[in-house]
Amino acid sequence: MVRRSGRGAAPDSVVRVVARMLPAPSVMVAAALIVKGYAEVGDGFAAGVIVALAVSLTYVAVGADGAEAVLPVLRHAPKIAVTGLLLALASGFFPLVYGEEPVSHQPAPGEPLTKFGKLELFTQLLMDIGVFLLVVGVLVMLLHQFGRLRGEEKS
Amino acid sequence: MIIAFALAAAVLFGSGAYLLLKRDLVRMVAGIMLISQAAVLTIIASSLNRGQAVIHVGPDDDPSDPLPQALALTALVIGLATVALLLAMVHRVVVVFRTSEQDALAATEAEVEARLERKRQADREEVEGVEGAKEDDAEAIEHEELGRVR
Amino acid sequence: MLLSIALLLPWVAGAVLLIANGRNRAVAWLAVSTLVATLVVLAFLAAEVYGNGNVRVVTGHWPEGIGIVLEADPLGVTFALLSVLVVTAAAAYESVGGVRTRTFPGLVVILAAGLNGLFVTADIFSFYVFFELAMTASYALSAYGGKRRQLRAALVFTAVNLLGSFIFVLSVAGAYRVTGTLAMEQIAERMLEVNPNAVLLIATGFFIAFSVKLGLFPFHFWLPTVYAGARPSVAAILSGAVANIGAYGLLRFGAGLFPQQLEQAGLALIILGAVSILYGGVLAVSRGDVAEMLAYSAIGQVGYVLVALGVAGPVGLVAAVLYSVVNSLNKALLFLASGVRGALVAGAFAIGSLSVAGVPPAAGFVGKLELFRTGILADSTALIVLLVAGSALSLVYMFQVYQRCFWRADPAKAKASPLPQRLIAAGLAVLVLAGALWPEPLLALSGQAVESLTSSSPGAS
Repeated sequence: MVRRSGRGAAPDSVVRVVARMLPAPSVMVAAALIVKGYAEVGDGFAAGVIVALAVSLTYVAVGADGAEAVLPVLRHAPKIAVTGLLLALASGFFPLVYGEEPVSHQPAPGEPLTKFGKLELFTQLLMDIGVFLLVVGVLVMLLHQFGRLRGEEKS
Repeated sequence: MIIAFALAAAVLFGSGAYLLLKRDLVRMVAGIMLISQAAVLTIIASSLNRGQAVIHVGPDDDPSDPLPQALALTALVIGLATVALLLAMVHRVVVVFRTSEQDALAATEAEVEARLERKRQADREEVEGVEGAKEDDAEAIEHEELGRVR
Repeated sequence: MLLSIALLLPWVAGAVLLIANGRNRAVAWLAVSTLVATLVVLAFLAAEVYGNGNVRVVTGHWPEGIGIVLEADPLGVTFALLSVLVVTAAAAYESVGGVRTRTFPGLVVILAAGLNGLFVTADIFSFYVFFELAMTASYALSAYGGKRRQLRAALVFTAVNLLGSFIFVLSVAGAYRVTGTLAMEQIAERMLEVNPNAVLLIATGFFIAFSVKLGLFPFHFWLPTVYAGARPSVAAILSGAVANIGAYGLLRFGAGLFPQQLEQAGLALIILGAVSILYGGVLAVSRGDVAEMLAYSAIGQVGYVLVALGVAGPVGLVAAVLYSVVNSLNKALLFLASGVRGALVAGAFAIGSLSVAGVPPAAGFVGKLELFRTGILADSTALIVLLVAGSALSLVYMFQVYQRCFWRADPAKAKASPLPQRLIAAGLAVLVLAGALWPEPLLALSGQAVESLTSSSPGAS
């Protein structure tokens, strides 16, 4: 954890610069992993872990308060996690509306796909995005919780 | 291969169990983590096979069994969640008790035990009200302490 | 459809409630109404299952054997109904008194989702996943209250039960290794051809995992601290709903998946159960505190379930199901009643006490009666003597505490609790009474549950 009170050295400038630059590209890598997930290695979980790793470096470099000042979206981690969970649940259970079993694909195998450029749209993509959001949200919540320990003990 | 896995899992489980018996709560958590890893390793060892990923297997390819991979992944995630929860609890304990030694926790229990004993004594001697008030005091003090820590 | 809704409803509601502020009264009552709605859905599902046979869902259009199978059978539905009922009562009880932490309502609803899931799944790994969902929620719940004792209770509870869960995973890995499948039906079939030593090892693993949840004798060490330390509503949830996982698991895995091993281990189970009964009874008599007495009594009570399971055969299993149902209601009633004061409560507590002791007119009587029948069927004098001794002990400790709590003029704590809280306790008491005055439905349910259990396992008869 970061020692802001002068005990031990603050992380050096390299770490801070890398930490600042890393989150944006990590989101790109995550997006690639989610899209590739159906033909090659990758899925929402791995993507989520990668983004969370990048974010965790920010926490190490500038501390919990600093990280949340740089990336204000981190403050909404619980909401992100719940949104992700709801999205995943929705994509799992919506076939009930059609009277089908939960976790069925839509469109079903063999049916024509909607394509967006080279991206093939189907409900599993939604599920993976949900898992991605859930993982990022939960891991950031943990970082938030444990990143503040030292400060809390002192007060 | 199986023997290597078995040994590794055994060592993990053994070290985990050893750490679990330590007084320090953080070590206890580390022990539980190691044991959870031993469980994941056992899942992998019990059914690992190499081969093509099942998403596109040709007619001649050997597919690898995706189930143990899914199981291991799920077990890892669940392990992560529970260990995080446990760590949060230990943190809370450190804040409230100001120590991460189990002795301090045991002392609290002994205190409660002693209070109960006093109450039983009072019961026998039919002294009422006095002990009850004392107990409420103790609770109030505890509350205050918690409030201050927060 | 009903089955999926019974899962979906508490899951979604729980997720949303987790970020809402639970100290808000509206949020707490929203949680309670979700639970009530789940209960209604489960009741319809139960009617369907009991009327037209099992409800089965295979996820994702997969052929059976690949997709995860969810199957609601009488046993699972009975336990799901019971557990959600207890959770609902405890949540309503806490909502009346005012919820103290943000997360309590969300956690309770998530717990219900996990319990529902694990009672209706027919796949051992998704059983584990739902089991962890429910357990994680209950770990967090056990710290509810936030005082030192609760914190310590939560820590002990979490550490010990996590170990139990890992042993469960190890057994799942073993079962997959030897059978190559995770669906319960197929496991039961293929286990017959597996090396019996390996099967015994796996079955023992499952037994240990569930015994830890249930707090049976050699694995009980965590239980008194936790039940006595937690708040009454949480203790009611833990002993009335979460402990059901252990009883259900022993029934489902023992009688459903490993009937031969169950038969082999019969004597060992009876001995363990007997030790549980005596140990729990004797220590409960020696304790003065209500919560602690109830905790030790819980150890003793699950001993009866284990004895019935050890006798096995249709009669033993019916007794085990019936006794777990009655016991879970008793415990919920007693823990909730122990937290309140005022009119009605003494009566409710007395009914709970009678039920634990197995004296008419309370549902415990029916349970004890079935147990005596198993004892006579097993033709064992020792067993019957044990049952009588256990009942006598429970009568002693229950009324010792009753006397201390309700017969003593208590000027310091004469303030009565809110009426709705007392009504919840009284409602549970009425349920316990009804179970004894009109026991046929209960008996029929247990009978059908056991039938569904044994008919699905090929090696049973």
